[in-house]
Amino acid sequence: MENGEVLIDCQSVWKVFGTRSAEAIRAITERGLGKTEVLQQFGCVVGVSDATLKVHRGEIFCIMGLSGSGKSTLIRQLNRLIEPSLGKVLVKGRDLAQMDAATLRETRARHIGMVFQSVALLPQRNVLENAAFGLEVQGVGRDERNQAARAALAKVGLSDWLDRYPSELSGGMQQRVGLARALTSDPEIILMDEPFSALDPLIRRQLQDEFRQLTKDLGKSAVFITHDLDEAIRIGDRIAIMKDGVIIQVGTAEDIVMNPADQYVADFVAGISRLHLVKAHSVMIPVADFRALDPATDPASLPQCDGQADIDALIGKITETGSDAVAVTEDGAIAGVVTTRNLLLSVRGDGAPAAH
Amino acid sequence: MDNSAFIDGFDTAIDNALFWLGDHAGFLFDGARALLEGLYDAILWLVLLPPFYVIAALAGVIGWRALNLWFGISSAAALAFCAAMGLWSDTMETLALVIAAVVIALAISLPVGTLAGLMPRLDRALTPVLDLIQTMPPYIYLLPSIALLGFGPATALVATVIVAVPPAIRLTALGIRMTPQEFIELGQALGLSRSQMFFKIRLPFAVPSIMAGINQSLMMAFGMVVIAGIVGSGGLGATIYGAIRTLDIATSINASIAIVILTMILDRVTQSAGQGAARAGKERT
Repeated sequence: MENGEVLIDCQSVWKVFGTRSAEAIRAITERGLGKTEVLQQFGCVVGVSDATLKVHRGEIFCIMGLSGSGKSTLIRQLNRLIEPSLGKVLVKGRDLAQMDAATLRETRARHIGMVFQSVALLPQRNVLENAAFGLEVQGVGRDERNQAARAALAKVGLSDWLDRYPSELSGGMQQRVGLARALTSDPEIILMDEPFSALDPLIRRQLQDEFRQLTKDLGKSAVFITHDLDEAIRIGDRIAIMKDGVIIQVGTAEDIVMNPADQYVADFVAGISRLHLVKAHSVMIPVADFRALDPATDPASLPQCDGQADIDALIGKITETGSDAVAVTEDGAIAGVVTTRNLLLSVRGDGAPAAH
Repeated sequence: MDNSAFIDGFDTAIDNALFWLGDHAGFLFDGARALLEGLYDAILWLVLLPPFYVIAALAGVIGWRALNLWFGISSAAALAFCAAMGLWSDTMETLALVIAAVVIALAISLPVGTLAGLMPRLDRALTPVLDLIQTMPPYIYLLPSIALLGFGPATALVATVIVAVPPAIRLTALGIRMTPQEFIELGQALGLSRSQMFFKIRLPFAVPSIMAGINQSLMMAFGMVVIAGIVGSGGLGATIYGAIRTLDIATSINASIAIVILTMILDRVTQSAGQGAARAGKERT
């Protein structure tokens, strides 16, 4: 995933709100002011501060943060709904800020789809017309756009609802139409602005799984905003944690759970279930340490598992075999050992050997 | 201090200016008068062309479609009652005057209101003007027009248009301005051009407010055509004005009833059209 083509390259992007934002920006560039100083000296609020991220082809990139963390501002800078005060956003290698109005419209229409928390389905149009709206404004003929919209609606399971109006649909179904509308234009990148936040938990989980599956099947890339870490972990290949306009940490779910960058992230991940998140290679101890602990047991005689096995699988292994430890093999050799103690600690949340 | 000389001078200047306009731009005002009266006459000819029961039946059908059968039957019966009172041609003259005035008023206020909705600066500039128009007693608008256009329906039309324009401008501008932010964002994210943003997003959401503006415009016009009886508007306004001067209370009440009937029919029909548009928008959100 890390090696794929970079579709969105967001370089040191800032957004400063307020009447004196121009002065504030100058102070930031010339004197390196931080956001607290900017607020004190200029009365300007820093929405996004020095955000840098890359989204690769085929990747689902989650931005997780609480309300006011600047995540919605940041995602709107990725298609220039909000103009960055400073910094650059490149989409497929092209600088959004350098585009004229027509090119920008074209880029938004063809390359970047967007799905909103409020869904924003046009109330006067039925489901099919809503899903076809993106192509309609691109000037695609009725038959062609309706065909594309039907295909997209079929993907989200709404084939029987084409003639209904948004008011006749449940919240979950409305959001499916929103997703279908974004898919109809067949963009490479989909920006998802807290799309499932207003839905009830069961529907939300269902849509999360469907969304991930669909995005992977279609080979799309997505930037997904959420305030829910569970959602970010379920959906995201990589997760960025935002707080007060700053990206504090970027990494896979496992990176973030195992090695939180600071106390804020640590508090956040404290309640997260590690069963499917943490892999054997990050909880195992070196073979030498195991020998020191338990000289009587030969590591080669232990039941074995792969380094990618998660804690759930390790627990299964231990309960099935009655052994107290599992040997972790990588490339056919024993790379380390996971003991029952390691497992218990990792389930609780401080199982990484590095943390001792 | 005696300032009567100053006041005399001021009045003379205004008189002279009006004379000058009459002398030098008379052809303009004659043209305007011909145009306005042409429109009025055309509409009047149209509504007087069929016998009264055809118009009454037509109003009945419109009332039925727009509201319900009961309202349709009442409308038809009420219009037939106007004819029975011997006020049919007066009622139709008033109707023609109101329709002509509202058509002109909408031709002005829909585009102006739309622009004001899109351009906050224009809106800010217009607001005090509209406030002024609505604060002044409506009689005032008879004066400049009678000076320049003379006695007759053209003057009544101009004065009626002036009072009918402000509510339609305000409500059109409001409707265009109040597009929900999430739909503006949707339009931007989908790459809509400016005209697409207007016709596909802003306008559909503004329709209920615009319909309310048209309704208000119509109501203001009805108020004014009665007053305009003084300057020779003809129709029910003139009937009432004449009846008052001769203390013919009975006739003035007959004419008033006819006006109420006409007003109620047009009010309810346009209101229900506006509510229909609002429902179509709201129910489906």
